[in-house]
Amino acid sequence: MSPAVPSWLGVATSVVLVGMCLAVVVREQLGLSREVVIASVRAVVQLAAVGALLGVLFRHAGLPGSLLWVTGMVLVGGRVAGHRGAGLPRAYLVATVALTAGVVATLGLLLVARVVQVEPRVVVPVGGMVVSAATRGTSVVLLRLREEAVSARRFVEARLALGLPGSEAFAPHRRQALRMALVTDIDAVRTVGLISLPGAMTGLLLAGVEPLTAIRYQVVVMYMLLGAVAVSGAVAARLTTGLLFDDAERLVVLPEAGRRAAAIR
Amino acid sequence: MLVLEDVVVDRGGVRVLDHVSASFAPGRCTAVAGPSGAGKSTLLRLLDRLEEPTSGRVLLHGRPLPSYDVLAVRRRVGLVQQSPVLLGETVLEDLRVAGSLTPEEAVGLLGRAGLIGLSLDRRTDSLSGGEAQRLCLARALAVGPEVLLLDEPTSALDAVAAMAVERVVRALVADGLSAVLVSHDLRQARRLADDAVILEGGRVVEAGPAPAVAYLAGAS
Repeated sequence: MSPAVPSWLGVATSVVLVGMCLAVVVREQLGLSREVVIASVRAVVQLAAVGALLGVLFRHAGLPGSLLWVTGMVLVGGRVAGHRGAGLPRAYLVATVALTAGVVATLGLLLVARVVQVEPRVVVPVGGMVVSAATRGTSVVLLRLREEAVSARRFVEARLALGLPGSEAFAPHRRQALRMALVTDIDAVRTVGLISLPGAMTGLLLAGVEPLTAIRYQVVVMYMLLGAVAVSGAVAARLTTGLLFDDAERLVVLPEAGRRAAAIR
Repeated sequence: MLVLEDVVVDRGGVRVLDHVSASFAPGRCTAVAGPSGAGKSTLLRLLDRLEEPTSGRVLLHGRPLPSYDVLAVRRRVGLVQQSPVLLGETVLEDLRVAGSLTPEEAVGLLGRAGLIGLSLDRRTDSLSGGEAQRLCLARALAVGPEVLLLDEPTSALDAVAAMAVERVVRALVADGLSAVLVSHDLRQARRLADDAVILEGGRVVEAGPAPAVAYLAGAS
């Protein structure tokens, strides 16, 4: 065991920290005691299950199993991001395709170029980071596109009325959605190391890796996340824009907007 | 020539237009008037293919609208919405949304819309309501339409600004452009329109030359 990893006794001792949280919750009468206890126990159970599963995966499933695991994460991420875009045409399918594109483009490139090692111990956690970032980016894009398709209808129709195709009429709104998704990650890249040490680097430092070695991994991870958000977000935005217009280049009425449109006489 | 032939529009279980037939003659201004909820805006959107009839046909020069390329139709039929919708940060940028224009062409468009002397670099968020609406008119003219669709173009403006917009519409029609003017302001309809179509509850209740339409004559 690495000297940086706490013993089981140490883990048990850390329960005191949950007690601290409970003390605050009770003293301030926040009414969250039950949630704190359930969340704390649930975290142990979930992590133990994932730890056991990963142990089996690393030992027996090999690279195909790892890629299958990443595929599963993409499907779950697609559900999560698709839910954010509920009401948009084929939101779940769009989100899943967008995540797949982001993961293949970034993780695929790093694996093919052997920038990261092609082994389960690497593919699974790095894949998890990529899917997580791409899901976050795609969620923001879909959420924003949905808002724009409803609230900016007058602007879009003003452009359509000038004879612009739907893709051009919606372009400023598509760009705005993508910008929103990327800003968070650009800020994260800009402030990395200044505000907090990012996860991958922290993990390597805890595992005893030299700081100047650990940053190499972190740089690759940061760039990978930036690429994943950009690719997934752009694919989601393009696909959705295409589906937002019918054959006659009309902005489709989204379910929530249907009732309001019915009121236009 | 734009023609509606027995057009029905059902939306969300509600009949918005009920077997409407009407024609909009070239070189004339036709007012579409009637009470709120009569289906006036829907009729206008049909002419620009922003809506599709549930049944019936919309014809442009004798051919159904869907037989034309939709983008080409929209360049032949310019739409000005109820309240100004500005799309560029500056006047020139706004005029160039539909395509490239030289500054000279842009100044010419502003002149046709009664905005002589307006700087092309002026920020659109500093324009008054009347200037903004006339800029929308100039932008609609930028694609060279033969018909202008005006959806209550002065309802969001004060009286002075409204009169300025009316002067521009009158001049454009005098220059040979056709206009379809949706308005609930009967006096305005009487001032501007050569012909009128009156809608009530989605049906045409009166149509003909404006001076002969009793609904408009009722305006004090």
